[in-house]
Amino acid sequence: MGAYVLKRLGQSLITVSIVVLTVFLLLRLMPKNGYFTREDYVNMDRDARTAYLRNLGVLDDPFTQFGRFLSGLARGDLGRSITVYPRSPVLDVIGEKAPYSLWFGLAALALSMALGLGLGILMARFKDRFPDGAGTVYVTIVRAIPSLIWLFFIQQWVTALLGWPMVFYEDRPVSWVLPTISLALSGIAWYAIWLRRFMVDEENKDYVKFAVSKGLPWKRVMRGHVLRNALVPLVQYFPQQILLTIAGSLLIESIYSIPGMGGLLVSAIRQQDNPLVQALVLLYSVLGVVGVFLGDLLMVLVDPRIKLAESSGKGAAA
Amino acid sequence: MKSRAMIIAVLMALAATAGAWAAGVDRYYAVYASEGSSLRYFYTPTTTDQRVAANTQDGLVEQDRFGRFVPSLAQSWTVSPDGLTWTFKLRQGLMYVDSSGQKTRWEITADDFVEGLRYVSDPKNGIKNFSRDVRNLIAGLNGYYLDLSDVDSGKKKDMTREDALANFSKVGISAPDKYTLVYKLSKPTPFFLSYLVMELFLPVEKEFLDSVGLDFGVSKEKLVFSGAYYISDWQRSKRIVLKANPHYWDAGKISVKTITLQYVPDPTTQVAMFQRGELSRADLGADQVKALAKSKWGQYIYSDPPSADRFSVTYWFVQNFTSSNPEFKAFVNNLNFRKALYYGIDRVKLNELDDPYKPGQIIRNTVVPEFQIFDEKGVDYTDYTGVKEIKAAGNYYNKAKARDYFKKAVAELTDGKGTIKGVSPATVDYKPIAEVKVDGKLPLQMVYVSLPDAVETKRALLLKAMLEEAFGKENIEVTLGQCIDDVFGEVVEPRRFDLLHDNFRFGYADPAAQLSRLVTNGGVNDGQYSDPEFDKLVQDAMSKTVLSERYAIFAKAEALYLDRCYVLPWAMGGTAYQITKVVPFTYPRGGFGITRFKFKGMVVEKDPITAKRYEQLKAAFYKEMAAAK
Repeated sequence: MGAYVLKRLGQSLITVSIVVLTVFLLLRLMPKNGYFTREDYVNMDRDARTAYLRNLGVLDDPFTQFGRFLSGLARGDLGRSITVYPRSPVLDVIGEKAPYSLWFGLAALALSMALGLGLGILMARFKDRFPDGAGTVYVTIVRAIPSLIWLFFIQQWVTALLGWPMVFYEDRPVSWVLPTISLALSGIAWYAIWLRRFMVDEENKDYVKFAVSKGLPWKRVMRGHVLRNALVPLVQYFPQQILLTIAGSLLIESIYSIPGMGGLLVSAIRQQDNPLVQALVLLYSVLGVVGVFLGDLLMVLVDPRIKLAESSGKGAAA
Repeated sequence: MKSRAMIIAVLMALAATAGAWAAGVDRYYAVYASEGSSLRYFYTPTTTDQRVAANTQDGLVEQDRFGRFVPSLAQSWTVSPDGLTWTFKLRQGLMYVDSSGQKTRWEITADDFVEGLRYVSDPKNGIKNFSRDVRNLIAGLNGYYLDLSDVDSGKKKDMTREDALANFSKVGISAPDKYTLVYKLSKPTPFFLSYLVMELFLPVEKEFLDSVGLDFGVSKEKLVFSGAYYISDWQRSKRIVLKANPHYWDAGKISVKTITLQYVPDPTTQVAMFQRGELSRADLGADQVKALAKSKWGQYIYSDPPSADRFSVTYWFVQNFTSSNPEFKAFVNNLNFRKALYYGIDRVKLNELDDPYKPGQIIRNTVVPEFQIFDEKGVDYTDYTGVKEIKAAGNYYNKAKARDYFKKAVAELTDGKGTIKGVSPATVDYKPIAEVKVDGKLPLQMVYVSLPDAVETKRALLLKAMLEEAFGKENIEVTLGQCIDDVFGEVVEPRRFDLLHDNFRFGYADPAAQLSRLVTNGGVNDGQYSDPEFDKLVQDAMSKTVLSERYAIFAKAEALYLDRCYVLPWAMGGTAYQITKVVPFTYPRGGFGITRFKFKGMVVEKDPITAKRYEQLKAAFYKEMAAAK
């Protein structure tokens, strides 16, 4: 296990390094005119633009710039934003925005899990009956109708009906409710449909039929065997989903005016804000890789039959 | 049942709270759709940045509600007889305040204006809006900036950065004493005051600046304030709260004590928030005007284009005189063809996309906007002979005239059988925007490039239909191309267009602000045409320092320019439909600089202003303005 963890950590480090280096180099291939707007071209002559770029450090060769990035990283300094929030330290920007995405994301994830898993169990338990049909209708609606439509519906109509604020206010807890529910809606559908599917698969397996025929109570079979085994394929996604809530939601944060991370990477790429893009890519890739790794470990904990490392020697053969 | 009743009670209480959130008269709530990028007030790329800078920092002068330049931190000023030296006397005893509204230990002095200019003219500070016009305005400033630029870009190797910085003492700005500030200009500039309403001329306290270093303006704590308001709360991508500065020199004019600006990018949400009493004003797009016109809100909707942020912006069609499309290049260099386009474009139809009710009111035929430039007698530049007639003409659209000019162009440019003289078949490569095969015969192939949003796409389709209908599909075929979001980087600079529409904001109170950059090789001469006669008239006009003489020549130059159709102006920026509780004409106005964004003097009422009341106030205001000039 220890060797496996070390090996996976090494692989993760290599993956993150490749992602970061690739993005770093791709950013340097972007045309230099992306650093300037039309007005900038009117205001600045060629030499002024060159001086500006030199002061930003983007005219140095890419490897010198990468070295600078790594040495900053070693000191815990990810640089300052250059175009999206000129001169603001990147860590400050992320530090201000990430908590909103994180808290909304975690609340929505908890809601998705609670309601989604509950719905999935109900659908599997009452397969081909009303709860299953109702759950399927819900899942179909959420997945088939473009999210923009129901998100706007919730914002416009539900807030009007309840007299709630249309946008998020930090000091008014009631304004936190609809964004959280909106964020959770598709998650609920995802958990419900997958858990139902895995539970139905398990129900049809021989060991379940055997347990039932041996006289074990159905509830115990469902709880102790079917549900537990059906959860195994899902749990590996939990850590990644938890960690990546930090990335926020472009649409919902925009609709409810939540100052989170959603859309930050898109803005940074569009405005060629290299330090911000690099920091976000580093953050997301590290969280992604760590999430996958933790998912694997969690799967082992939930299902002892799964071995992460191949055992060696006779014991293994036995 | 009990718990259900409880939930309902809680919900009702929450609903009541939401209702009580409505704006009061000493509070103003508004939204902003373009996020502010920084609080560093010398660099204000978005309107939000400009609005915050204008209200939290004062300059030497500001614009009042009539658009006149009136004293701000400067109490008075004098100009030397040669027009080169401007001396400002500052108000005494004014202190900067911090982000809690407390007086700091720093007094606002003349040195702060010197430091402000030193800051913006150092390329290391990345003040990208430090324009050539400003650099050429003050004696020695352009040389100082270019030296530093050259040192930084590596072009100048015989000078150190320290040496270059030391040369600031040769720049034409000085503070002979604590309350006297002197500017020495490169040439007499009677409209110098109109530059001073720009963010580039704001003051900064040196000791404070040194103490915060690179962090200057990265948060409200890293600023001190000289304006009518201080920033009491600032949250990125969320909200900005401004509170009235209790130590402000002109506090009597501040009736709104708290300004709350919220980041709400969606225009639909903005309108709904206004309807629910959460906002003091909401701007309306064309579709929203249509949707609300017949509701109870219809009575409150009005449009006041001169008060729009972008009123002074002129929209025009740019024609590519150096097009790599040989067919278009042949035609666009023919005056009759350009006139055919000039008369063939129905400006009213195009403007209906922005203003479905009064599309005619946003037509602009001139390059220089109205209500911005006045001579020594108060006469508007656009009322000078030559420009006045063009301004008054309204919609130039005339299909018969357009067809006549097109026929003349065809007669001059083809062999009579539809073959364009001197043009061989070719493939026009505007990839990734468009690729067109031309055969050197009619129909003339031309590529119109636009942005991909819904309104621009509709406009492009409309223009194509308009031109093909006016001249016949057998004579002209318009191919539509779209860029992603950067018209300059994707289209203008790589020359991937035949026709496009663009716009430029207006910089200062002189026709040169636009005309001097439309000359041969001028900064916004995107068509790349050349007309020595126009260039000479502009040069002649710029040499005059008596405003009426200067404007007479500029008007002649602009009339010639428009008659030769180098660009085709068609609209002003901003339709300015709104529903608001702000009493119109109580706050500053103007077409350039940032002081027009001040909330100073603004009066907010409990109920929205009706369109009828707006009309009454408008009539009274224009009478008052005429008397004030």
